[in-house]
Amino acid sequence: MAKKILVIDDEPHVVKYITAFLEDSGYDTCSASNGEEGIEVLKKEKPDLVTLDLQMPGDTGTRFYRNMTKSKEFKDVPVIVISGIPGRHLAVSKPVAVFEKPIDRDALLDAVKKSLGE
Amino acid sequence: MHDLTTDQSVRILDSLPCYVTLMDRRLRVLWSNDAAHRDFGDPLGKTCYELFRVRGDKCSECLVEQSFQDGAIHNKEMTLVTAEGDRIDVLVYSSPVRGDNGEIASVVETAVNISSVKEMQKQLILLGQTVAGLAHGLKNIMMGLDGGIYVVNRGLQDKNQAEVREGWEMVLFNFDKISKIVKDILYCSKDREPNIQEVQPNSVIREVSDLFRETARGYGITLQLDLDEEVTHAEMDPDGLHSVITNLVANAIDACKMDLWKDEHLIEIRSRKGADGSVTIEVADNGTGIDRDTKDQIFEDFFSSKGDKGTGLGLMVTQKIMKEHGGSITFRSRPGQGTTFTAKFPHRET
Ligand SMILES: Nc1ncnc2c1ncn2[C@@H]1O[C@H](COP(=O)(O)OP(=O)(O)OP(=O)(O)O)[C@@H](O)[C@H]1O
Ligand SMILES: [Mg+2]
Repeated sequence: MAKKILVIDDEPHVVKYITAFLEDSGYDTCSASNGEEGIEVLKKEKPDLVTLDLQMPGDTGTRFYRNMTKSKEFKDVPVIVISGIPGRHLAVSKPVAVFEKPIDRDALLDAVKKSLGE
Repeated sequence: MHDLTTDQSVRILDSLPCYVTLMDRRLRVLWSNDAAHRDFGDPLGKTCYELFRVRGDKCSECLVEQSFQDGAIHNKEMTLVTAEGDRIDVLVYSSPVRGDNGEIASVVETAVNISSVKEMQKQLILLGQTVAGLAHGLKNIMMGLDGGIYVVNRGLQDKNQAEVREGWEMVLFNFDKISKIVKDILYCSKDREPNIQEVQPNSVIREVSDLFRETARGYGITLQLDLDEEVTHAEMDPDGLHSVITNLVANAIDACKMDLWKDEHLIEIRSRKGADGSVTIEVADNGTGIDRDTKDQIFEDFFSSKGDKGTGLGLMVTQKIMKEHGGSITFRSRPGQGTTFTAKFPHRET
């Protein structure tokens, strides 16, 4: 069965882009446009990996991450941070990878495969 | 080559286009050339730091003492204050002067005015920041274009018309963003005369609020007008006025959107006629407000607290337009409560 990836970004265009690319690479995807919705989708879809957009201080992405790492069930789901702001991933303690926009698709795919142990 | 007389040597020193001073071990000025005399006054009985009005006591790394100590030449950049109180940036060199016995008897200092170089340096730093800000804005648009192109290609491959359209919209959206940034930058980089005409400010306000009403409603924000009917017409640049209101309302919507604490959000656009014939336009929101750290920065070019979502040019363009009109833009804000921006256009004779 294909692994499932949750894409969180409040820009619908970015969600479309990343999900399209991941689907073409053979993954199932689901998406959310903010952190609150992200938690709901997380519970429902139980993804194997999350890509998270982090940019504004106090934004919902940071909160999403905090909630996720607090839950027993999901705390070990790998997170890849996709951010427009270099060096701002500090809010997340240990993302498996950090990408700046615009993303390098091949590098993203490598990081996804590696964190899924493929 | 002929030997110089003492008189000639002094005349040469006097006509050097820099400040030349001679100091003893206790930093007293033994002699200064004409240029130093003219700009800093009589050195008699003064130490060098007194003559040059360096703040406080002697300089932290005294060049003169260093040269006395190691017999070498030293230099550094300093700011001096002239007798008239002007600050000038100089590059200072100190060099030991030996007596007949070979001992260092005094130290000569030359100070060259580098104010113009400093000014250039400042402009370059500013330019660097501008370019960095620009590059950041472009990065996100690149991502959008990348994505649009990817989705278009995918749609073409799958012969999926809907997907092609979706991708194409992503491309167009980001194209618009680039166009706006380029226009804003061009706008800011040129001195331009506003195209003053008779306009009806209230109509422009209505026009802009109609443009935003749907978007605002989508976020649960009510857009409300409070227009002074006395404001019938004014002499302004119509495009400029339109941009000012658009920028302020767009910011107000963002501030409400990002505010998660209140159930109801309201933006009010007001117009007022002053007794002096000025026209004041206010945009008030009950959004996030602006915190202390941010307050000082919001008018800077490329400052944005919105990450990828903002270029930080909006207020800069707004401020420029207000200046061109001889007007002003100010704001008051309470963090967590909301913000009111006030644009004041002075009265202008027809
Ligand atoms: N009404 C407001 N409430 C709260 N903060 C504001 C408001 N207006 C401006 N700001 C702050 O000032 C910053 C600069 O505003 P400016 O309009 O110059 O850029 P921007 O809105 O971030 O980007 P752009 O205008 O290009 O979309 C904003 O990022 C925000 O932090
Ligand atoms: Mg703005």
